[in-house]
Amino acid sequence: MTNTTTEAATQGTDLDSLGPVDYIVVEFPAGASNFTGEMAKELIRLVDAGTIRLIDVLILTKDADGSIEAAELSDSEDLGELRKLESQLAELLAAEDVAHLAAAMEPGTTAGVLIWENLWAAPFASAARRSGGQLIANGRIPIQAIIASIEADERSTNGGD
Amino acid sequence: MPLRPGRVGRVGVIGAPVAKTAVVARAVTPGPAPIAKTAVVAAAVTPGRGRRRI
Repeated sequence: MTNTTTEAATQGTDLDSLGPVDYIVVEFPAGASNFTGEMAKELIRLVDAGTIRLIDVLILTKDADGSIEAAELSDSEDLGELRKLESQLAELLAAEDVAHLAAAMEPGTTAGVLIWENLWAAPFASAARRSGGQLIANGRIPIQAIIASIEADERSTNGGD
Repeated sequence: MPLRPGRVGRVGVIGAPVAKTAVVARAVTPGPAPIAKTAVVAAAVTPGRGRRRI
């Protein structure tokens, strides 16, 4: 990341008021992608609403032989409404991150990688820090885990296996 | 298309290879139809519903 990019990304961002930063990798199996612009529209809506700040975007392609190709958002010929977000991105992800993220991809697929700051959580996180709190754990609970827990409860209640 | 030069040679922020989120295996496990599961999950996260046993 260049200094200019770093400064632009953090301009006006006090470290103490920074919200949690998350990432996702969304995989599109070969022939299954259906880009209608809906995803871009929802992403822009989240940014415009101040819910998130988009930090970085990469598009990864994993060939059948497992080789990885990475493309910047700006490499896309038709950015459409995403163009206004592209100019605000920071280059947070490094080349070695690409290899780590691509490990989850199946050969023959394309994936979008999104990094964002949860602006909605920043005020609460700041308040917790000012109160002396330290984040010691966080995570996401997959819906499938909730289903499994409920089903285990039901089996226990019903005296099943 | 190559990565921008600024991404090369830096220490990354993703610490280790990422494993695929294990959603598919459970999602296709025989059992109640997904729509029924959705209702059950919705009920489980409804405010005021208690199922904690510690």
